Amino acid sequence: MDREQFQKTYDDFRLGRIDRRTFLKVSGLGLAAAVIAACTPGSSAAPSAAAAGGEPTSADWSPPKGVDLGKTLYLTTWPNYHNPRTIEIFTALTGVKVEVNPLGSNEEMLAKLLIGGTGWDVLVPTNYTFETYGSKKLLEPLEMAKLPNLDITRYDQRLLANAEYPAGSKTLWGFNKDWGTTGFTYNKKHVTKPMASWKDFFDLAQTDYSGKVIIHDYQLTSIGCALVAVGFSFNSVAENELAKAEELLLAVKPHLFAITSDYQPPMRAEDAWVTMTWTNDGAQLHADIPDIEYVIASDGGEIWSDFYAVVAGTEHREAAYAFLDFMAVPKVQAFDAAFHKAPLVDSAGIALESAEMRANKITYPDAAQLSKLEFGTAELLTNKARADLWARVKSA
Amino acid sequence: MTRSELGRWRSRIVTFLLLMPASAWYVLLLLVPLVILIVFSFGGRAPEGGYRPDFTLANYQELPTRSTAFLNALWMATGGTILCLIVGFPLAYFLATRAGSQRTLLLVLVIVPFWTSFLIRTYAWLTILGNNGVPAWLERLGFGHIVLLNTPFAVLLGIVYNYLPLMVFPLYVSLERLDKRLLEASKDLGAGRWATFRQVTLPLSSAGLLSGVILVFIPIMGEYIIPALLGGGKVFFIGNALVDLFLQSRNWPFGSAAAIVLILVILAAVTLYLRLGSRGGGTREVSLL
Amino acid sequence: MTDRITPPPRAAIDKAGRWVDRAFRLQATALYLFLYVPIGLVVLFSFNAGDRTGELRGLSLRWYGRALGDPFAMGALENSFVVGTWTAVIATTLGTLAALALQRASRSVRAVFEAITYVAIIIPGIVIGIATLIFFVNAFAWLNPQLASIWSAFGLGAPPTIGTGLHTIIAAHVLFTMAIVIVLVRARLAGMDRTLTEASFDLFASPFRTFVQVTLPQLRPAIITGALLAFTFSFDDYVIASFVAGPGKPTLPMYVFSSIRRGITPEINAIASMVLSVTVTMLLVVGLIYRRSSRIAAAQRAAELADVQETVP
Repeated sequence: MDREQFQKTYDDFRLGRIDRRTFLKVSGLGLAAAVIAACTPGSSAAPSAAAAGGEPTSADWSPPKGVDLGKTLYLTTWPNYHNPRTIEIFTALTGVKVEVNPLGSNEEMLAKLLIGGTGWDVLVPTNYTFETYGSKKLLEPLEMAKLPNLDITRYDQRLLANAEYPAGSKTLWGFNKDWGTTGFTYNKKHVTKPMASWKDFFDLAQTDYSGKVIIHDYQLTSIGCALVAVGFSFNSVAENELAKAEELLLAVKPHLFAITSDYQPPMRAEDAWVTMTWTNDGAQLHADIPDIEYVIASDGGEIWSDFYAVVAGTEHREAAYAFLDFMAVPKVQAFDAAFHKAPLVDSAGIALESAEMRANKITYPDAAQLSKLEFGTAELLTNKARADLWARVKSA
Repeated sequence: MTRSELGRWRSRIVTFLLLMPASAWYVLLLLVPLVILIVFSFGGRAPEGGYRPDFTLANYQELPTRSTAFLNALWMATGGTILCLIVGFPLAYFLATRAGSQRTLLLVLVIVPFWTSFLIRTYAWLTILGNNGVPAWLERLGFGHIVLLNTPFAVLLGIVYNYLPLMVFPLYVSLERLDKRLLEASKDLGAGRWATFRQVTLPLSSAGLLSGVILVFIPIMGEYIIPALLGGGKVFFIGNALVDLFLQSRNWPFGSAAAIVLILVILAAVTLYLRLGSRGGGTREVSLL
Repeated sequence: MTDRITPPPRAAIDKAGRWVDRAFRLQATALYLFLYVPIGLVVLFSFNAGDRTGELRGLSLRWYGRALGDPFAMGALENSFVVGTWTAVIATTLGTLAALALQRASRSVRAVFEAITYVAIIIPGIVIGIATLIFFVNAFAWLNPQLASIWSAFGLGAPPTIGTGLHTIIAAHVLFTMAIVIVLVRARLAGMDRTLTEASFDLFASPFRTFVQVTLPQLRPAIITGALLAFTFSFDDYVIASFVAGPGKPTLPMYVFSSIRRGITPEINAIASMVLSVTVTMLLVVGLIYRRSSRIAAAQRAAELADVQETVP
């Protein structure tokens, strides 16, 4: 469904012409739960005998023969998203040094790509960005011949389809790295009041936990969750609904500890007690500090999937494809995921994860919890109203 | 050509050659980028961000929406400058009245922090103002829970900390040049300390004052790091707004308009200061008798 | 009556009120503490045996070892040095040449140049960073295809591609620092003693020799100050560098900034302390040399005076 159709369907829903269930069915949003259910451990094949093996070695993957990979690779990604050891292993196997460049939002990635001359080779974009990246030719369509280890039949097609541009064309511009949700974490050593929804989050931020709460420096999630807190859809671009969300954000801003997407350090230092969080960070924090709990809000939120993609005009094309091929190997995925703790999409990868990992309720939540979550829509990356709103909130 | 004409020609060519490299730098890296900015500021925003050729005044008209960020920077710049002045003047005076070797040592001690990385100095405050630093002591002393980090207070503190040496030096230089005999004369003529200060010291050090104020005020207007590190995304200067406009909202035309206006405002402020300064009297040595 | 003529010693000027003096002293001490406590903390935590800054858990040198062995940190440090040195060299050269030229230039040229220098100094780093980045990217986008066609026309093989990198940082830094050098050198030129230059011409020295042997030595303090300032500014700059740097080659401030955002380890403290000690050492060395040379000069003058006094009966 393209932007216009989605907008029309959404308007119908808002105006009451169709009910919620129909809307979810038609727009594909309600598929979230169904889709994800296909990617959880319970549904995939029985754990393979080689489950949770150690580090990947040259036996698991080797660089393509006769191809000069060069000396460096520039990977632009999200914070705390890759096991440094995985990167080291890749370097050991190929001799290519990988420079990891973490950014905090897709907007920032797009902004730098638009300016140009970034020198990036591999990008980790989120599901809703492909329409923009594809139409502006900022990425390149994947040359599947260079990715022998990628078996797209193991990936849930509805998740993978986000990377098709034009929609439905089967031309893939990326493949899934993982998926996850946007919820919030709180440190239960200090937070005693119950917090189950985004409404609770924003209310308590202004009262009991004033000065201890962080939201993302990212218009998609911060505006989206504010919208959910006031009862609207995460993806709304309707003027009056955005105005309500803006009101809430402006009210909560003086009470925030910080507006940042690098929230792990303050949470670990206990400078902040509550923060808007992504699944992988939530799982990492909880693993290190059991007092920190991750919550998928009961009134909604975002479900997302991140991809590996190749930046257009990259100078290290061979190395980029080698890296993508390396990361497509299920054993490598499982090894990497043991660090970043985001749930995988590749069924073979999931099968190789340790039993402990697959039982982790943060990483692989129950399907029921996901029913209210929405995928971000392509529209949001470039929507002027939301970009301006966010700029206004930050300037206030 | 006569010999003198040839000589003048040669002289002209030499001047031109000497000036060429610097001029080329200015043209390529200052004028051309500024022209690009000006052109952008009248343009339109492409749907996914960036620049789309157009001619419109809308960007300038929309500038007032950023007035908060601008005013933040203005208030902080003014407040920071005044604080630096209040704190720095006594220090400069103290330095100027020390004996030779002591003075050099003390001067160097003021420079050394300036030579540590700006970022590191600012980041040091993160630890001090964070939860395990000063607020922890305050709480133990019974002051209750005070949040210091990511507040305007923290940003102001960071500003004063980083810009103090820039205020102290010009002040020191002009106070040091002050002819002490004038102070003696003033006291001989019966003026009290305060009167001496007001009517002799202050006017004669006004050039240093002016330099100090300009050296501090201008960079603060364009500050970005201190609010970013010590403000935690909550304190937003015009510098932060510019970065956001180019690197997040991708509204280049608007960002360009804001940048141009910022430059003009700073130019105006500096010209104003200089005018006031030259009218208020300089540090020409007033000869006795 | 003689004590009216000799000016009293400077330290004794403010003799009124011991309290006032004490107040000044107290304020100065407080200020010095204020300036040094954060730096002291940075140095202190560099010796932290624990894992994070903020909690001192015993002393150890391990972070220094980590820092010295960290290729990213050392690479960034090296980049900063390279950029700083080139900036200082280029800015000082171009700036001095320009300042000299401005002396001989016509009034209108001088006015225009001064105005542009003025703008270059007051323009905020952010604006320059963004503007020059946009310029660079567009210039390179135009330039690279041209290079490619030239290279293929002459059959020279693979054409070079120009992108952002250390050279673009240097270029952007030179802009600001060159303006500073121009201001400094011009100020010095204005206050310079003309009689020496005139004497040199009277003695038939060529303009070039006059420049090298008379003007240049007199300009030396301003040139050296300019070079030092240029290096310091470039070494410490984050904003401009973050915009125009190329991928994979960060400067030290860029490395530090991204570490701060991710949660710092005492490794950064170690690097900062090392840079600080190098700076302080340099200052000490310069100071000692200066004192030595001035003491030698004073001794020489005393000796000459003694000679003269001897010859005069």
